[in-house]
Amino acid sequence: MAGKTFTRRRIILLLVLSSIMLVTLDLRGSGSVNGLRSVFGTVFRPVESVTRVVMRPVQNVWHGITNYTEVVEENRRLKDLVAYGEGAKIGAVASVREAQELLALNGLPSLAGINSCSAQVVGQSPSNFAQTVEINRGSECGIRVGMPVLNAAGLIGKVTDVFDGRAVVMLLTDPSYSLAVKVVNTPPTTTTVPGAPVVTVDQSTTTSTTTTTTIPKTTTTAGIPGFTPGSTIPPTVTNPSQSTSPNATVVAPTGTGDINKPGSANQSEITVPAGANLPLRETGALEGRGISKPPIIRFIENQPRFGEVNIGSPVITAGGASSLAPPDIVIGTVSRVIKRSGTLGPLLEVKISANLDALNFIRVLLYQPSTEKVNAP
Amino acid sequence: MIDRLIDLAENRYFRLFLVGLVVLSFQTTILNDMRPFGVCLQVMLLLAASSGLARGSETGAAAGFMIGLMYDMVLTTPMGVGAAVFAAVGYLAGYAHRFVHEPNWWSQMVLAAGASAVGTVLMPIALTVVGVEGVLTFRVLGIAFVVAVFNAALSLPFERVCRWALTEPRVVR
Repeated sequence: MAGKTFTRRRIILLLVLSSIMLVTLDLRGSGSVNGLRSVFGTVFRPVESVTRVVMRPVQNVWHGITNYTEVVEENRRLKDLVAYGEGAKIGAVASVREAQELLALNGLPSLAGINSCSAQVVGQSPSNFAQTVEINRGSECGIRVGMPVLNAAGLIGKVTDVFDGRAVVMLLTDPSYSLAVKVVNTPPTTTTVPGAPVVTVDQSTTTSTTTTTTIPKTTTTAGIPGFTPGSTIPPTVTNPSQSTSPNATVVAPTGTGDINKPGSANQSEITVPAGANLPLRETGALEGRGISKPPIIRFIENQPRFGEVNIGSPVITAGGASSLAPPDIVIGTVSRVIKRSGTLGPLLEVKISANLDALNFIRVLLYQPSTEKVNAP
Repeated sequence: MIDRLIDLAENRYFRLFLVGLVVLSFQTTILNDMRPFGVCLQVMLLLAASSGLARGSETGAAAGFMIGLMYDMVLTTPMGVGAAVFAAVGYLAGYAHRFVHEPNWWSQMVLAAGASAVGTVLMPIALTVVGVEGVLTFRVLGIAFVVAVFNAALSLPFERVCRWALTEPRVVR
């Protein structure tokens, strides 16, 4: 009996030590663990392929039973979306071309200049706790670890393992995923109606015009006379007919007292520079939070100029020399703003534009940041 | 050469490895696609529990370790975590089976369900211990329930298969 207990303890001890050793080796990035995985993959893939082929009819029956109503409903909805998208596409293509031409003229990188490798999702992680998918292209296509992966809707993740003929993609929702992003915030707009004190004076004719002017939310730095960030306050009346600049002229809110005090100027005019109504961008770090929670963006600075982040503001990749993704890939939109006290910026929850539950064809951008490119001697 | 192959085929852990390969292929294909209530069923976990139920705690622990290691090979989680959890499940199932006075079909199902539920809860705990974030949520309880119910339903054939695979080779006198 004592001998049996000793054997049992020895077995358990051996198993525990083996587990700890394996975990340690894997977490330290040991090549032997990757080699072991690769060898096992070589043995296992044929078995898996046979099972996949044999079980396909069963899978189809299952999907036929469980998803029929949803598929019909989705088909109807998609037809509407396609009709809508056809119209929007023409305008979008023209805009994208213009943007790419502008980027090329200025020597800036754009997605059009990056090679890509199209692939199909052939499986997802069989675990309930990992958010990865497997694709059917690998190192033979030039795919490397870290490359961004996107589908028609936007970014879906990055490559984490590459083999010959297959690769593993970590999805945006994985808790280990992190990426520098930009939030494009549209500043609040002010609309003036006819009869409001927005008047453009012409020498020959007097016309009341309806003007929609966008003014970024501003703060006034106390102690600097006449200074308002993002705008200029000329002391004299601007006559638009004599002005050659494309600046819009609006009237500041009526107030009383000192002109240097915020909101207390008397009918002083504010000349907003052209382009001030362009969307503002702020960078942050997108982090996955698991399958049941949307990703969040941290480190958004609480800048007054940036204003309050609107729900629905687009989120795109930030790019940069060390970022794993090029700039301006669509990720999604802000779905919730969690305000925090003090100087901590808000936390933003993101609704990903790509449907990660129904991935099929995807595109791996063969992009490597300049910091990781191997330079020729 | 043929003698060696026969020796290999007679090794019970090699037979379990072959069974594990087939079950793993089911796990990564059809079960990965059919997700009742949004939960991926865990038949590899059931295989580990069934090994313990069929051949006791020590064999269950060793078999669970091997099955977990095979599962780790296809997952992206740190290798060794699944092996440790599945070994615990195999051991636990075998240990709990000892306390059943007269084992019958429903006691097997209850034990398989219990071991599967424990394994499903242990997995995110172990992953959290090794530094994986965001996996330990209340959703785990729902997953454990669904996995336990389905594994209970599948436990009888799995126990038979494990009993066959883990049979000691016959001694020729």
